Amino acid sequence: MTATEETADTATLPPERTGFFQNIKNGMLILLSSKTATIGLIIVLFWVFAALFAPLLTPYSPTEQDWRAPNQGPTMKHPLGTDELGRDLWSRLIYGARVVLITLPISDRTWLPIGTAIWGVVASLLFGATLGLLSGYRGGWIDEIIMRFLDAMMSIPIILLYLIIVTAMGASALNVVIAIAIVGTPGVARLVRSLTLDIRTRDYIRAAETRGESTLFIMFVEILPNAKGPIIIDAMLRVGYAIFAMGTLGFLGLGLPPPSPDWGSMVAKGREFILSGSPWAALWPSIAIASLVVGLNLLADGLREETMRYQ
Amino acid sequence: MLKFIVRRFFLMLLTMFLVSMAVFLITESSPGNVAKNVLGAFITPEQEASFLAQTGLDKPIYLRYLYWLVGSDWHGEMKMDMPLRRITTEDDFVEWWAVRKDGALVRWNLEGDDLTATVRTADGKVFKEPDNDRWTADAKGVSTFWGVDLQNHVVKWEKGSDKKVWTFVVGSGWMETTGGPIRYIPLKKGFMRGDPGVSFRTGRPVAKSIFIRLRNSLVLAGIAFVIVMPLALLLGIIAGLKEGSFKDRFLSISGMMFSVIPEFATGIFLTLIFSYWLNILPGATVFGQQAPWERPDMLILPVLTLTLIELGYVLRITRSSMAEVMRSPYIRTAFLKGLPYWRVVFKHAVRNALIAPITVIMLHVNWLMGGIVIVEVVFGYPGLGQYLLKSALYKDINALEAGTMIMVLLAVGTQLCADIIYTFLNPRIRYS
Repeated sequence: MTATEETADTATLPPERTGFFQNIKNGMLILLSSKTATIGLIIVLFWVFAALFAPLLTPYSPTEQDWRAPNQGPTMKHPLGTDELGRDLWSRLIYGARVVLITLPISDRTWLPIGTAIWGVVASLLFGATLGLLSGYRGGWIDEIIMRFLDAMMSIPIILLYLIIVTAMGASALNVVIAIAIVGTPGVARLVRSLTLDIRTRDYIRAAETRGESTLFIMFVEILPNAKGPIIIDAMLRVGYAIFAMGTLGFLGLGLPPPSPDWGSMVAKGREFILSGSPWAALWPSIAIASLVVGLNLLADGLREETMRYQ
Repeated sequence: MLKFIVRRFFLMLLTMFLVSMAVFLITESSPGNVAKNVLGAFITPEQEASFLAQTGLDKPIYLRYLYWLVGSDWHGEMKMDMPLRRITTEDDFVEWWAVRKDGALVRWNLEGDDLTATVRTADGKVFKEPDNDRWTADAKGVSTFWGVDLQNHVVKWEKGSDKKVWTFVVGSGWMETTGGPIRYIPLKKGFMRGDPGVSFRTGRPVAKSIFIRLRNSLVLAGIAFVIVMPLALLLGIIAGLKEGSFKDRFLSISGMMFSVIPEFATGIFLTLIFSYWLNILPGATVFGQQAPWERPDMLILPVLTLTLIELGYVLRITRSSMAEVMRSPYIRTAFLKGLPYWRVVFKHAVRNALIAPITVIMLHVNWLMGGIVIVEVVFGYPGLGQYLLKSALYKDINALEAGTMIMVLLAVGTQLCADIIYTFLNPRIRYS
């Protein structure tokens, strides 16, 4: 919830430096005063908790097959039904949320904390911020080259970029992160560049230059922290888009390799069985991804509206 | 203005060049194997090598890119020291022939150790004759000959060579022959001269299938566009008229929901509702030759999916633009002057409020393409997006490059159009 506290920080403009908990409290107050943001928060929290406590919420493993019960509707034993291999859909759904929000599987055994979609956003922030800072602060021919290059990248249809990147590198969670990062980079870079162009004219930058600080120090220690507000709000919207992208890639068969629970590929597989009479395997993951993305957008929208009102 | 357009045009060509090179490099460096994709997993290494040589895939990457970009006939002509010509036969096959000094067209094949020439005269007569005088001995005393074979390659034959060649003929399987050529240059005109090459996946020239696919996609996008535009602009204006009213909140929140839900999820919801529970519309598209017009009812769900997604986006843009205009001082002045409400709305507000949406929509084509690819996959619609996806997964480089170029051209071209239209709608903008 760093995003909340940051927006609160810039929005309410407290007279003196307030503590960490005070920041969170202010953020929550803003959040809860908007009905849309509250609804969004509830949806997002639902998925975060489901993902976090997935092993406690279901007795089944997401890859456990039951050949006696394929393509079932909701029953007492399987609350959301089963897929074509008899795997429990509720279990696959919440473990799928885990991949999106909580863990980044690297191989069969190892995984990193923080979800795949979020890593994608973090990586695009890293690349984009570096390029944007460099471009905006140094200017000149470096700026020209970087911006022309990013323009060219932005003019390529996004779906094409995803297709080429992921087919080239093969389907895995790490490659999905890379794809999301590459596609997101130009947007972040442009935002950071425009913020940098503004900030670099300030007096404290001139002071740092006079002190003889290195370019890297000025870029990352002087400029970046002063540009964080807009970057963080932008990042929140990007998380929603990264989840969207992850689902789309999974649906096209470019997401996590089977049998890992991946919402997009669950829909792609379940789709084949709709017309033969079992819609559940396609329905639940579609609802899951739709609700999570809508929740995030409601949250970001409500938050933006409220902070604007405070300003 | 003209300078601006020319500059952007060259920037577009540069983008296409860079993208085509990137696609080539990335496809090259990725895992997977075209030979195995085309011929199945059980080919022998010799068969694979023979296939790679015949398709020119064994060449170094810079040469293949050059062949793809500007063609390979110049290279063949250099090796053969004879001009080459491409003709289209009565049966609509593309054939490459060498041009003899007397103007007749000629190709060769090897029968045993004898070189046999197939000659095609200007009046269309075709006959065969032995042509053994063309062998030239090199320094080691081996007789070699560079010529055009019957499968549109420039090849190098070596007399007495026992090189085995496997040719894969669709329908009849492998044909093994000995004494085959030792080097191949597959002939093509190159993308810049209007020949995107042959697709490995379908075995047909890319140019023949890709435009049909493009037309199908354009039909889908066109119908959706015609429905979306008036509806979204109207609803957006209604929502923007009174910011914060119930109508506004309802329209903008549902618009947001439609535009952020992934296309495949929307597609699944609509399929479930209309073809599974209500059972009134077909949930997949199965077209024959007359696609897409033979079953208009199959178009309804794909168009509806695309419409919902675009509707939300355009609606929100129009709404915010309209709301901004309604807040502006000149609108307040118009009201205070005592002008009737609807007159202020239509004569003063709407015209200014539409500038932003119209240009933003053009910029949105980039995004729309992504939507179309997904919708095509969801409903099995035979459009460009599905073609592109299959080509990418198959590593079918010629088809992938052609599809990519079309998409980049569309995306960059519409962005240029948007910029030009913008100068007409908003005369304050000047490009220099």
